[in-house]
Amino acid sequence: MAKKGSDTIIERFRSVIENPQGYAKSLHEQGKLVAGYMCTHVPEEILYAAGIVPVRILSPHVSQAMTRSYIHETYCSFSHDCAYQGLSHNYDFLDLITTSSSCIHMGEAFNVWVRFAGFAGKSYLIPYPHIIETKPAASFMKESYGEFKKFLEGFVKKPITDEEIEKAIKVYNHTRRLLKRLWELLRRENPPITGPDVATATLASQFMDKLEFNKLLEKFLKGLEAAPGKGKPGVRLMVSGGACDDIEILDLLEHLDYAVNLIFIDSCTATRYFWFEIPEGRADKLTAIAEGYISRIPCPSKDNVPGTGEKKRLRYVQQFIEEFKPEGIVFLYQRFCSPQPHDIVALRPILDKLGVPSIDLELDSTVPVTQFRTQLEAFLEILKPVVPLE
Amino acid sequence: MNKEKIFAGIDAGHVRTKAVLVRGKEILGYGSAATGFDAVNAAQEALTRALEAAKVSRDDVAGIVSTGIFRDVVKALPIAVQRTVPEYMADAKGALFLNKNSRTVIDIGANVHKAVHYDKDGNLLDVIQNDKCADGVGIFYTTMAKALGVSEEGLSELALASTKQLSVAIHCAASAESEAIGLLCQGEEAADVADASLRFIVERVAAMASTMPLEQEVVVAGGLAKCKALMKHLPVLLKQDVTLLNLPEYVGAIGAAISYEGEK
Amino acid sequence: MAYAVKAWNDFKNYQTGCYRDYLYATEGLRVMGSTWSVLAPLKGLGDDIHLIGGEPHAASTAGTLPDESRENIIAAESAGLGFHSCSYLKLFTGEVIRDKIGITDGTIKEGYPKPDLIWTTHLCNQHSKWYQEVSRRLGGIPMFAVDMIGGGNAEKDSKIVNYVSNQIELGIDWLQRVTGREYSDELFAKAVRNEIKVLVLWGNICALNRHAPAPLDERRLIALFPPAVVDRTTDESVRLYETLFEEVKQMVATGQSVAPDQRFRIVYFGIAHTYGHPEMARILRDVGAEIVASVYTFGTCGNFKGIVNGKWSWDPIDPKWVDELDLSTRRKAIEELAKIVLGWPTWQGVRSYWALESMAQAMIDEYHADGLLLAPSRSCETDFRNGYVGLQRIFKSKIPTIEYDTDQVDVRQMDLPGAQRKTELFVHLMEARKRRSA
Repeated sequence: MAKKGSDTIIERFRSVIENPQGYAKSLHEQGKLVAGYMCTHVPEEILYAAGIVPVRILSPHVSQAMTRSYIHETYCSFSHDCAYQGLSHNYDFLDLITTSSSCIHMGEAFNVWVRFAGFAGKSYLIPYPHIIETKPAASFMKESYGEFKKFLEGFVKKPITDEEIEKAIKVYNHTRRLLKRLWELLRRENPPITGPDVATATLASQFMDKLEFNKLLEKFLKGLEAAPGKGKPGVRLMVSGGACDDIEILDLLEHLDYAVNLIFIDSCTATRYFWFEIPEGRADKLTAIAEGYISRIPCPSKDNVPGTGEKKRLRYVQQFIEEFKPEGIVFLYQRFCSPQPHDIVALRPILDKLGVPSIDLELDSTVPVTQFRTQLEAFLEILKPVVPLE
Repeated sequence: MNKEKIFAGIDAGHVRTKAVLVRGKEILGYGSAATGFDAVNAAQEALTRALEAAKVSRDDVAGIVSTGIFRDVVKALPIAVQRTVPEYMADAKGALFLNKNSRTVIDIGANVHKAVHYDKDGNLLDVIQNDKCADGVGIFYTTMAKALGVSEEGLSELALASTKQLSVAIHCAASAESEAIGLLCQGEEAADVADASLRFIVERVAAMASTMPLEQEVVVAGGLAKCKALMKHLPVLLKQDVTLLNLPEYVGAIGAAISYEGEK
Repeated sequence: MAYAVKAWNDFKNYQTGCYRDYLYATEGLRVMGSTWSVLAPLKGLGDDIHLIGGEPHAASTAGTLPDESRENIIAAESAGLGFHSCSYLKLFTGEVIRDKIGITDGTIKEGYPKPDLIWTTHLCNQHSKWYQEVSRRLGGIPMFAVDMIGGGNAEKDSKIVNYVSNQIELGIDWLQRVTGREYSDELFAKAVRNEIKVLVLWGNICALNRHAPAPLDERRLIALFPPAVVDRTTDESVRLYETLFEEVKQMVATGQSVAPDQRFRIVYFGIAHTYGHPEMARILRDVGAEIVASVYTFGTCGNFKGIVNGKWSWDPIDPKWVDELDLSTRRKAIEELAKIVLGWPTWQGVRSYWALESMAQAMIDEYHADGLLLAPSRSCETDFRNGYVGLQRIFKSKIPTIEYDTDQVDVRQMDLPGAQRKTELFVHLMEARKRRSA
């Protein structure tokens, strides 16, 4: 079992993800500049180098229809929820809202903040490739980052030095390495920590000042890496899909009537957020950042290798399956997300070859617990002879 | 003897058909019937009830105007409707008739909901109607009453007893109903599920209505305007005061009746 | 009296001819892809290139073969390709899944003609993923997607022009490698000039609708812009649009129109949805309301001055400018081509709410609109749904504005009763406004 000190740290992470707006506000009240960002393609390092703390805008998990008079119904509920954060004035204290040109649904959420929620004068849209694997992408991103850097220098009224950028790169890379070490623990047959707790820590990293987060996670890992397993091993499940910041669903996976271990999450709110590094020590910092972000596991909305039409993301999914050995995959993606089902169709033949069954569940603002429970338990019964929990 | 003419208005809606008899500024009588699968029959029945309530014979009625989704269907004999008027125009006129200070009426119907903005003479200024996914909020209300084993009035009473805020899916009535049942399966209280269901309706209506400026006084038309639990939430979500009307379910029929102008 | 466009049959025949070419070609190269990409690079490979564009093909097939279209869409959904995905591309991919193709002359052919390569772009979140799926299903067809990126004022942003041009250069190298053909810069430059000329000419034709009465209505506009979509690189396509331009200028000079009764002029922001359009048009026509300007028909394969001093302008570009363009080197030709396609209103609006809003305002002003009709398509992620609910909110207090839900080619997604109700309402709002201002 994880030690008592570790319990306190995981509780701290949980408290941040339960009230990320409160955490961001506390940073603001400490006199820090705080920028909200809506997509993980934003080069947070440049913001951090400017002395601005980036905090991710995610769903408040409130059932609301207000945004339907701003964005069409058929945009994913995640984008509606993020738009709602702006319209409900939850983040009025932010100094800046930024995103890179990402998927169109999140673009609409950003547009709502800018057009209707009072952020027109404190917003920045970073032009970003829509196909990440094009050969000229890095040079385009370097130019785009250069413009972003210039904007921020005007915003903070001081130059952003290479030293500051290098420092930020190192801080963020450290976060990435720590998170990787955390997720690696789930490879074990009997991990010392649950998947939902690992997901909780990962989500917290997206809301927190990285220096503060790194300190806590380092301490947490020291305790965990030597700790024994948490309990009886269960069916090993992997989640793959789109943005999912709803720990309730992940908790549900590990609290069915059968023993389950959630051992990997391939999504931009989990491993796709950090599973890469920015090259350190390079003279051209912006190109280094561009290359780092290009090397990420691609978002399905940007993944198309010119010349072959390959989906690079699929290689990573296969790699994770081989390394983490799930017995089944739960595809979790937003209703109305168009790219995800396309990837799933292409992934299925690969999963068939690897002998890993899968199930699809569509996400929404609210969690249909009963329906999900029924589907998941049926899936588990198919996977292998399962012994219900006492 | 009042020499003013008597006009009848029929609001042939998705689920309910309403009829009203109006003379000048006076409502003489009203009646309604389930539309079912025969809108013509329903219109006849509603009109008969209105005539009985008004103690007026069919021959005394100088003209009949229909509105509602089946307004053209009920033109058939034997009702002999002389004119039809679109629902939003009937709503504007009817709301103004019932409240001369009103300038916006929100009509929550069985299938469609809309907000109508009009001037002091009932002339149309702007209208907004729901998008496709938000269809059927009124029908959803009836369905949830059945699912919870209460009458339509009983659903409001049940919701008023709620002590815990729950949420159902907001996308459409089908997913809302599905999640409401799911919540019951999880052991949530019927009162809280009832309230969540009504808040779903109000969320959808308020989201639509707030697309345009809502000039005061704002009134509500349709049978659901009599639902206290629903009307508790509406002003909060609209961030506007809402004035209650007498006979909110007859707004359209009243507006139709007073829209008669003889020869077109 | 309503004018009948003389060039009508030639336009129809050109479109059908392109599809028949693809279907029945026994020599040359079959190329599948998106016609939102730059097309001229393909023509440097030779004059035996047979194109099929996913979007225009789906749009035209839905109108000609509704039952087949429905089967195709269902086939794509059954294959797991996303119920909420773009219906154009569901239809298109569904044909590949069913191994059956139908074209505008009513032909239905068993056995989908396999392309030799796929040349496309990535218009929205899912766009090139359709072609990835088709490539995969057909055994791995070589595929190159140019990231056109889009956005407001994109053609004036040198980093965007360079990014797109660099990709096109790489794309041309790739075309040579994959086909083994020698590339002709002469043919390429000619195709570039033709492509730009057609886009500019179509912009000029649309601009003539600023006159009253507008010479063309939406039905004619929808039918007359397909050649620009399916293949705008040929001499014949240039001839078609030059002829049409002269004809429409003559219509304006003599005060003629295909729909002379125009009591109300409407700006339409939406895709040309196959189902329900006739019903909407009838409701509008009964009161003399005509769509005289539309972002879909104008802005896909049409160019205008664009953002001028921070605001959108629908002023056309002088066609003579095209003749004077310096296309003497491959790079110059690539850059001019990149700029013209980046300049499409629809490429600008797809990723830029402010450009779309500016376009809507400019269209209302320049075309003297009495109403704004918004028809977001439920499965489209580009200009035909993006920002529309916001546009309704912004414009509702300025001009009669109505939004109804539709879909480009999936009749099940079309809200026909709601759309009819709202179109009637739209007419009443315009009438009420007219009475108030009398």
